[in-house]
Amino acid sequence: MVRVRAVLSAVWRAVRRGQGSFASIGTNNFFLFTAYLFQRQGGFLYLIIALLMLFPLSADPLRKIPRERITMWPLDRREWWILRALSPWLNPIMWLLAAGTIWAVRHSVSWSLLGIVAALFALGFALSDLGGGAWDTLARQIPNPGGLLGALIQKNLRQMLSTLDFWCALLLSLSATIYKLVDHTAPKETFLFMSLLVMLALSSYAQCLFGLDGEGGLTRYRLLPLQGWQILLAKDAAFLLVAVILTLPLNPVAGLAAALIVLAVGHDPSVKQIKPQVRWRFSTGAPIGNGIVQVFAMSIAANGASRTNILLLLPCLAAYAISLHWYGRLLEDPSAAPLA
Amino acid sequence: MILCKDLTCRYGEFLAVDRLNLEVPSGTICAFLGPNGAGKSTTVKMLTGLVAPTSGTATVADLDVVRDSLRLKKRIGVLPENLGLFDDLTVQEHLDLTGAVYGLTKEETRDRSTQLLRVLHLEHGRQTFASRCSHGMRKKTSLAMALLSNPQVLFLDEPLEAIDPVTAKTITDLLETLAQRGITVFLTSHILSAVEQFATRVVLIRKGVVAWNSAVSEIPGSLEKLYFDLVEAPAPEDLAWLGSAQS
Repeated sequence: MVRVRAVLSAVWRAVRRGQGSFASIGTNNFFLFTAYLFQRQGGFLYLIIALLMLFPLSADPLRKIPRERITMWPLDRREWWILRALSPWLNPIMWLLAAGTIWAVRHSVSWSLLGIVAALFALGFALSDLGGGAWDTLARQIPNPGGLLGALIQKNLRQMLSTLDFWCALLLSLSATIYKLVDHTAPKETFLFMSLLVMLALSSYAQCLFGLDGEGGLTRYRLLPLQGWQILLAKDAAFLLVAVILTLPLNPVAGLAAALIVLAVGHDPSVKQIKPQVRWRFSTGAPIGNGIVQVFAMSIAANGASRTNILLLLPCLAAYAISLHWYGRLLEDPSAAPLA
Repeated sequence: MILCKDLTCRYGEFLAVDRLNLEVPSGTICAFLGPNGAGKSTTVKMLTGLVAPTSGTATVADLDVVRDSLRLKKRIGVLPENLGLFDDLTVQEHLDLTGAVYGLTKEETRDRSTQLLRVLHLEHGRQTFASRCSHGMRKKTSLAMALLSNPQVLFLDEPLEAIDPVTAKTITDLLETLAQRGITVFLTSHILSAVEQFATRVVLIRKGVVAWNSAVSEIPGSLEKLYFDLVEAPAPEDLAWLGSAQS
């Protein structure tokens, strides 16, 4: 049992560190602003966040140890089975499910709801072993748009799709699109609002554009004979593409105006304080001040461009271009070396 | 081709490289050797524009490494210490990126990458994401990227480590051919026996200071003996519990 206890305590430490990465929602614009704006009425949005987080949270704790390492350890069959039986209990979701079951039994609540949650947990647990292959297949479907920056844009799209921010925005966009198709009497303002909500979900990602590049990727940026604005443009092109596609069925003018402003404001923390990000988590945004500026500026820009005059997209574009130029130059500065 | 004058790099209080003076002519394979933390990688980073020198100057391919960094990047190929790969791109996509950025046509990129992947025994991993590659495959990918643009100067940080013997031999043969064609190769390594076979110049560095700089032919005795004498000698220690009765 000494060996099993040693392995379990190592797994527990790794699980706790991994779950620390979920603290990212504490500095994520979407979570902060929806919690503030909707408070108790935000049930649907909280459900989306919870469901998105359930999958990565459900991962098998034993996967924290490399397969090669665990098979090399001198564990006999009995110890292995004990480990297999106990390790799921290192995941707090398992305890929540158990508590939920006891509560359901005592209060005779709907078993179907608990069943759905348990099934989602089981799916996440099982898929954590297969997830890599499925993701590779999806990532390969993203084409290289060609040109000087094509491969970088392709890579940046893949990175963006491996964050929960994107999937949250996609679910919001799909829900709103279905609503628009079903209810033709819905006021236009609803879709302006939904476009803003989609952009809110993506806005924290715009504050940490280099967070998934890793040390190797950041080194490569400095080695490539590209100017800083070109590197930043490849990041922004991927973001704009996603933003335009997700808001196209809703209010594309508002979506584009918001995306340009979100990027213009987000360049500052993206370039000055590169925060490493974790895949399949919500992005860890910048300090709240940048988030507030981002959200207010994008709301004004989106409202103005879609309600008043489409030409208000031009000042948004100008603000974006100035930001691109300024922070592109900062990327090139070897003494500041933001990418070193 | 590479010229350093009093090149210095300081990280806070730590002096990583102290007034390095160096001249490496065209067509030279210069091995830059020293223990971990001696300043090898920092020197490579300064010469490739990754880190700004604290003081001193350096020119590579007649370009100042600070003032002309963008033009310099077009003339050099680099295998960096951390390999500089993106997890979200496959081996082939890394080469496509390099070709596009260095101004090669699609046909040139395809032909050159096919040849490089064949030479480096990496054809089987062409469509593998960098995040799924072994360390050896990642190193070969980074090396292929360094060579693809036909650079004037090659900087290779530990190119032979974690590489299988056949590929290592292929790489050393390739480097010798490149040097004969006038390309300058500046590399770091810990494999002294291999370096002694193909390098034409050796620079030993210890605590940021050059301890030896000469042509390989001028080394008295073996490179290993020189290294142990000037840089660091092994200090054997008997771990008595190793090999004793099983616990």
